[in-house]
Amino acid sequence: MEISNEEKEGMGRGSERPAGAENTEHERLKTELSREHDLYLRTLADFDNYRRRVERERAVSAQAGKRELILPLLEVLADFDRALEHLGDVPEWMSSGFVAIYRRLISILQAQGIVSYESLGDTFDPARHEAVGMTESQDVEPGTIVAELSRGYRWGDEVLRPARVRVAQ
Amino acid sequence: MAKAVGIDLGTTNSVVAVMEGGKPTVIINSDGGRLTPSVVAYSKTGERLVGQLAKRQAAINPEQTIYSAKRFVGRRYSEVQSEIKNVPYRVTAGPNDAVRFEIGGKQIAPEEISASVLRKLADDASKYIGEKVTDAVITVPAYFNDAQRQATKDAGKIAGLKVLRIINEPTAAALAYGLDKKKNETIMVFDLGGGTFDVSILEVGDGVFEVKATSGDTHLGGDDFDKRIVDWLAQEFLRDQGIELRKDRQALQRLTEASEKAKIELSSVVETAISLPFVTADAAGPKHLETKLARAKFDQLTADLVERCVGPVKQALQDAKLSESDIDEIVLVGGSTRTPAVQALVRRLMAGKEPNQSVNPDEVVAIGAAIQAGVLAGEVKDVVLLDVTPLSLGVETLGGVMTRLVERNTTIPVRRSEVFSTAEENQTAVDIHILQGERELARDNRTLGHFRLEGIRPAQRGLPQIEVSFDIDTNGILTVIARDKDTDKAQEITISGSTQLSRDEIDRMVMDAKGHAEEDRRRHEEVEARNAANSVAYQAERQVKELDGNVPLNEKARAEQLIADIQQLTRSESSDIARLRQLTGDLQQLVYGLSSASHGSTAAGGAQSKTPPPGGDDVIDAEFRPSK
Repeated sequence: MEISNEEKEGMGRGSERPAGAENTEHERLKTELSREHDLYLRTLADFDNYRRRVERERAVSAQAGKRELILPLLEVLADFDRALEHLGDVPEWMSSGFVAIYRRLISILQAQGIVSYESLGDTFDPARHEAVGMTESQDVEPGTIVAELSRGYRWGDEVLRPARVRVAQ
Repeated sequence: MAKAVGIDLGTTNSVVAVMEGGKPTVIINSDGGRLTPSVVAYSKTGERLVGQLAKRQAAINPEQTIYSAKRFVGRRYSEVQSEIKNVPYRVTAGPNDAVRFEIGGKQIAPEEISASVLRKLADDASKYIGEKVTDAVITVPAYFNDAQRQATKDAGKIAGLKVLRIINEPTAAALAYGLDKKKNETIMVFDLGGGTFDVSILEVGDGVFEVKATSGDTHLGGDDFDKRIVDWLAQEFLRDQGIELRKDRQALQRLTEASEKAKIELSSVVETAISLPFVTADAAGPKHLETKLARAKFDQLTADLVERCVGPVKQALQDAKLSESDIDEIVLVGGSTRTPAVQALVRRLMAGKEPNQSVNPDEVVAIGAAIQAGVLAGEVKDVVLLDVTPLSLGVETLGGVMTRLVERNTTIPVRRSEVFSTAEENQTAVDIHILQGERELARDNRTLGHFRLEGIRPAQRGLPQIEVSFDIDTNGILTVIARDKDTDKAQEITISGSTQLSRDEIDRMVMDAKGHAEEDRRRHEEVEARNAANSVAYQAERQVKELDGNVPLNEKARAEQLIADIQQLTRSESSDIARLRQLTGDLQQLVYGLSSASHGSTAAGGAQSKTPPPGGDDVIDAEFRPSK
């Protein structure tokens, strides 16, 4: 490691060069300067773009953080839905308490802007539905959803979790 | 200027990446994911769906949903008989024995399917970077022949892309690790993807890669590992409950998802819980699947799959006429290489050599392709590679602590300054002790230099303002300037090579700091407590002196006693911090009391009990101990 230690005053340095070399040196420095300036502007531009991107991504990443928590919770909601089908088999005090817990969970998600949507009877749309299988059906048009196996959830414009459905053949 | 992207066009999933500000970035697709399923579907209404949407409708439209098109691209119909058996869509022979998919009575070439995927990736990339994407580097397996490469290139053209180059997947992976800069090295790329396993041996020299050998298993991948868990869960359930879950499509889907999740978790923990409440029901009521899977059990379930990787590795070495000791670098590609048993196998086969795996194995090929695209589009050479300071830099301040001005991993060039002051009355010089390291106390860090700034006008402690600036230029040369704001007198020192530490040295220093973090925190607290105690004692002393006659005798005596106690405690090395804090608090209270009492008695006296805050916007961050 080199260490040089000097007083700040009197730091000027002088140098002399033959006159002929001066012109070419001058040209070289000019080219170098314009190249450096270009590089400087590019870096500034890159940084400016980066800053904008960071601002944009800050909002997105806050949402991404929420999503990480919410997606597994939607799985739990689906479990609740499945459990609800068997509520008739338990005493009333149990089922009503159970439903109350379920509603609380739903309202917490609703407060975050997450809402479920109905799919039964709709025409299958891969943007909102995920097909699990087909069912023979005479009553409805082919492509109509005849069973919703798990509910779809939307967060603003975005489909957080497509509904799992069975579709008429 | 149009941007060039790198595309990993995979059998199961595809990834697109781009160079941004000189760094490769993986692009998030319109569905919010980083992987785009390589699936294309033609819906009954004639609409073409690509990626996640195509995958979601596969179950109701299996004959018109094309996946694994890569297995057919550029091949003859007569060559792909065994592949046809594995897919639910119709594969026929087109002109010149070319492979065609038959969809709704129309013949579609595999290139068109690949083109749809490429088009979607390029569109998503355009949307993400806000610039039109026209140029691309696309990767193919090293074993692809000319026809398969040409077909991939054609797919790019159909998608409206200018294909800058077709490069080998293992080469791209090596590029992502910067291995092109190595001289005469032999690299093994071990790629275990969703459904295929490839081993490649490359040789690099002068930035050129040469493929020495390739081997693999076209039907071995992560999906097989998932299936082992599915089968195990289903068998256990059948044994305990008498119900076959695999016959129920929805139950099977839940089982498959839970199995994949369990597999992923077992890469970081040794046991995971699998819970599928209400998975099915019989006459007796609903049934739940609740079980635990240990990594040891998972390893046992998949041992034969892992073992199937051995043959191709040995084959590739043999074909390249090399032994495992000839391999200099190993690169892991594909999500399944995160499985601990797979990593253990690689180490075992490669005589304990550590593989490169710091880049996400799902994305490493696309990242390498993006780097190649950046080079070909002329973007990369324009980029100045900015360095970072490997360790923190700072100065020693009161109590022997290191005050950091530049934190480690700060991108250089950088300039940081802070204002410091004196710690003693009438101090006329300060010692600037420049330090490098991550420890809290000055003595545990490395000294880069010393200098002394003299000629400070005698003043109360805390009043002089000494601005210390650290300036690191692009070459890592550090200049430290200390300037007295009062007299404008300055002194500086230049230290070159502050960033030129060996990797080992840096790692050692960082590890050292981590190991001592707790102890350092305690010592730092001690120093802070002592500094605070001294400062309060100093204030109290001054105040007692200034208010001389106006202080009640008993309070004066109490203050003097507290000051003496504090001074005695701070001088002894093994001080009792809790007691010191207690004394400091008591004295502080007393000072407040004196101050408010004196306001009553010396109303117009204007005696300043506290040091006035330094003028301007500058904040004094720390104090220098007096020069010796």
